[in-house]
Amino acid sequence: MSSLAATVQDIFDEPGCAKNGSKSEAERRNGCTRQLQPGSAAGGCAFDGAKVALQPFTDVAHLVHGPIACEGNSWDNRGAASSGSDLWRTAFTTDLSETDIVFGGEKRLCKAIKEIIDKCDPPAIFVYQTCIPAMIGDDINAVCKAASRRFSKPVIPINSPGFAGSKNLGNKLAGEALLDYVIGTREPDYTTPYDINLIGEYNLSGELWQVKPVLDELGVRILCCISGDGKYREVASSHRARAAMLVCSKSMINVARKMEQRYGIPFFEGSFYGIQDSSESLRQIARLLVERGAPADLLGRTEAVIAREEARAWAAIQPYKPRLEGKRALLMTGGVKSWSVVSALQEAGLELVGTSVKKSTMEDKERIKELMGQDAHMIDDMTAREMYKMLKDAEADIMLSGGKSQFVALKAAVPWVDINQERCHAYMGYAGIVKLVEEIDNSLSSPMWEQLRRPAPWEALAKAREQMQSMAAIAGDPVLAETARRARNICVCNRVDLGTIEDAISVHGLRSVAAVREHTNAAGGCCQGRIEDMLMSEPSDMRQAAE
Amino acid sequence: MPQSAEHVLDHVELFRGPEYQQMLAKKKIFENPRDPAEVERIKEWTKTAEYREKNFAREALAVNPAKACQPLGAVFASVGFERTLPFVHGSQGCVAYYRSHLSRHFKEPSSCVSSSMTEDAAVFGGLNNMTDGLANSYKMYKPKMIAVSTTCMAEVIGDDLNAFIKTSKEKGSVPADFDVPFAHTPAFVGSHVTGYDNALKGILEHFWDGKAGTAPKLERKPNGAINIIGGFDGYTVGNLREIKRILELMGIQHTVLADNSEVFDTPTDGEFRMYDGGTTLKDAANAIHAKATISMQQWCTEKTLSFAAEHGQDVLSFNYPVGLSATDDFIVALSRISGKEIPEQLARERGRLVDAIADSSAHVHGKKFAIYGDPDLCYGLAAFLLELGAEPTHVLSTNGNKAWQEKMQALLASSPFGQGCQVYPGRDLWHMRSLLFTEPVDFLIGNTYGKYLERDTATPLIRIGFPIFDRHHHHRSPIWGYQGGLNVLVKILDKIFDEIDNKTNILGKTDYSFDIIR
Repeated sequence: MSSLAATVQDIFDEPGCAKNGSKSEAERRNGCTRQLQPGSAAGGCAFDGAKVALQPFTDVAHLVHGPIACEGNSWDNRGAASSGSDLWRTAFTTDLSETDIVFGGEKRLCKAIKEIIDKCDPPAIFVYQTCIPAMIGDDINAVCKAASRRFSKPVIPINSPGFAGSKNLGNKLAGEALLDYVIGTREPDYTTPYDINLIGEYNLSGELWQVKPVLDELGVRILCCISGDGKYREVASSHRARAAMLVCSKSMINVARKMEQRYGIPFFEGSFYGIQDSSESLRQIARLLVERGAPADLLGRTEAVIAREEARAWAAIQPYKPRLEGKRALLMTGGVKSWSVVSALQEAGLELVGTSVKKSTMEDKERIKELMGQDAHMIDDMTAREMYKMLKDAEADIMLSGGKSQFVALKAAVPWVDINQERCHAYMGYAGIVKLVEEIDNSLSSPMWEQLRRPAPWEALAKAREQMQSMAAIAGDPVLAETARRARNICVCNRVDLGTIEDAISVHGLRSVAAVREHTNAAGGCCQGRIEDMLMSEPSDMRQAAE
Repeated sequence: MPQSAEHVLDHVELFRGPEYQQMLAKKKIFENPRDPAEVERIKEWTKTAEYREKNFAREALAVNPAKACQPLGAVFASVGFERTLPFVHGSQGCVAYYRSHLSRHFKEPSSCVSSSMTEDAAVFGGLNNMTDGLANSYKMYKPKMIAVSTTCMAEVIGDDLNAFIKTSKEKGSVPADFDVPFAHTPAFVGSHVTGYDNALKGILEHFWDGKAGTAPKLERKPNGAINIIGGFDGYTVGNLREIKRILELMGIQHTVLADNSEVFDTPTDGEFRMYDGGTTLKDAANAIHAKATISMQQWCTEKTLSFAAEHGQDVLSFNYPVGLSATDDFIVALSRISGKEIPEQLARERGRLVDAIADSSAHVHGKKFAIYGDPDLCYGLAAFLLELGAEPTHVLSTNGNKAWQEKMQALLASSPFGQGCQVYPGRDLWHMRSLLFTEPVDFLIGNTYGKYLERDTATPLIRIGFPIFDRHHHHRSPIWGYQGGLNVLVKILDKIFDEIDNKTNILGKTDYSFDIIR
């Protein structure tokens, strides 16, 4: 058994990760977690990452070894739907107190494991390490090993204490635990040539169930889903799958790659978000299965199902088109979703003004360009303030994002649709994208936004009065008027005002948007039209003079 | 023994015991029982469109009407004046009803007397009852004013209140200068909201127009004050206090007329207050000088407002303003009339309501609602729902009239969310029952009586209205003002989330969505 540090190092050196592959040797050694900056806002810890990755295994008792903080604040906080046991929702923790920290918590942990078995007798117990017991030296690996033997029950140590690193690292450490202790420990009752694994799919709001009927129709069996609506038995025997689909590469790429290495299960990275993506994923599944020996007619059957489902989905989106036509959407998500929903939104008539690429790979970015054109406004890491400004300046009519940015949108009084984990609706698969469009339509048509944006009626009055006064002042003073005209922002993204661009045009005699981009900070993306207008209207004698 | 002295069961538990269940089952046999299948068939039939058509063709019969009679409103208005005893001229049984009705809603004693007319009085007129009644109540309850209204009995025989009170005073029932305003409030005309209007107008008329000829009429000397009238309102305690707070924040000189927010919420400190708070008689008289009179409920104050207008005041009425726009309109009107600035604190309260709406409106969006209640309340709630993107679908007011219907329809037509809504004036809760069966909605807003509709039609009930007998203390929190809007939003949201939980709480079956985060 390797130490935690060694495991972490191993995870960082992930050959399957494109980003990692493009790094230099030295960079690779540094690992891929960005160092946290003390004092700046931070996301969840490695423990949280491990917990959210494995928690959707529904029949497992998830026991958190640590003081109340870790489990007390976090239990049952993800809507990963279960078709059976609800044991996963139950919070088990050793709730360590001062004495335990002085004398060690191992005995208490062992007792807790026994009590869970006496009370619930689950097929397995996952024991999560947290910072405090890790610091005082509780050896959960040893306790789990002893407990497994003593109770003849799989007791799996998930060694991912919070201080180990980021949430994402925790996802992967959880994957390592599965690889080390669970996968391949049992045999399935039977196998078929159509068995697949889904890796990194969490069945949030029951999304997986929206896709499953299509797979069922094709005869494709989900041998195991890691971990949405998963069962211990399934993951233990998942090594017999014929192929795998990696749904969220960010969280579980190590699991997919190592399963390929150890058990020869080929995988592809895919997504069920968006219509074309769903189809592409189904094709890939069929292709991999056929390559592994499934009857070749699967390919044809898959195409037939795809054609039918696509037609149905496009038809369902059509009615929204007149309502959504020309509305501008800002997509603040990341990863595959940064492009996989784009075409469906475009089909529904929406114009995408930007998409965040914070968690996206190079490949993701290529796809974005393909879909949204070369000038796609790709936002790398937008601060809440910038986001607020963009929304406030009415660059977008609606924002699609996770819960974290929700309040930014709401404070800017811009419609917003939740497309991340805490969402109430399932957006996966063909049915899901239609649901997403419907939600966007709902949000856009809510009468509340108008109310929100409207200032209090008495403010509007005061403002109008003020404006009248300042307009009168400007009208009376040509200098003031000129300053006001030149202060207007042309490039909203990089905040370049009209004056700056005008000067650049006349000084350098610029004639194209590209030239303006070269000479100023202007991005030329969403502001392309405005710059073109300026180039057109620039008095020609001025240009000539400059030349 | 089903009951034991150590552990006495109440009716909820006791009759579930096997002894009682058996007894009730046996009892049925002797009660000419119907074939259960036939009972079931009829029950199902009442849910059909065919039944609905017959139901709506009903002309002579009201089933579960959602209104009360004029004197209830008169009593409600009268207790809002300083040490005022409501005196209902007529049969005493009616008065017992008003008292229990108000007590059950406000969980407070309700003081009110009647002239206890009997058969003799009905034949020979109620003058003696009036004379004796005024004398007795004056002696026993030591009021500062007795406000007289009438039940149907007195109205049918045509008792003349003005003359009776004059005669009683001559006979020495009460001192000649004692204030006895009066209003004719027959139950066979209008409803409790009309009674409120009549009683309030009667009281103002008494003070402003020379106390029934016994004093000179007051001459109006306009000042900057504003009169506020709440109207008949189950939330009068919370609402009037909120309105007063807003007026004080804005620094507006004001008189709340018929301010019953204290008498329906007296503290428990060892002292029984038969009278508490209320508009002082002096203020009631001086209210004539006010710059304007604002009514929070148009259909509660039609006569009172025109009376104030006749005396030269600006008058303005709202329709139970709930939510953002309605409160905006109210606050702006206050500012406009008084010339006072809107303070930062109110702007912040507004911002908080806006914030709450933004946080939660997705859950209300597109939900269909049925509303019933007093005309103004229906209007105010429907307007707020439209604002939230909810879809009012049936709006029913037993005491709503044609003018109300038109105003309601105009409101609904102004929003895309009101397009699918029908307005039903003069209809009752049995009509509502048919509506809920044939055109189901997601939620029903109404008073306590709505719980039968909730049970029969499985439409979750949000309790807003009067009376609320089976939930306590909600009348103490405002539903007007920005804070009040927030309260209404929370009431609605609580029920929406409860419903999601109810739909997902079957263990191992629907609990995949039984989430802690909504």
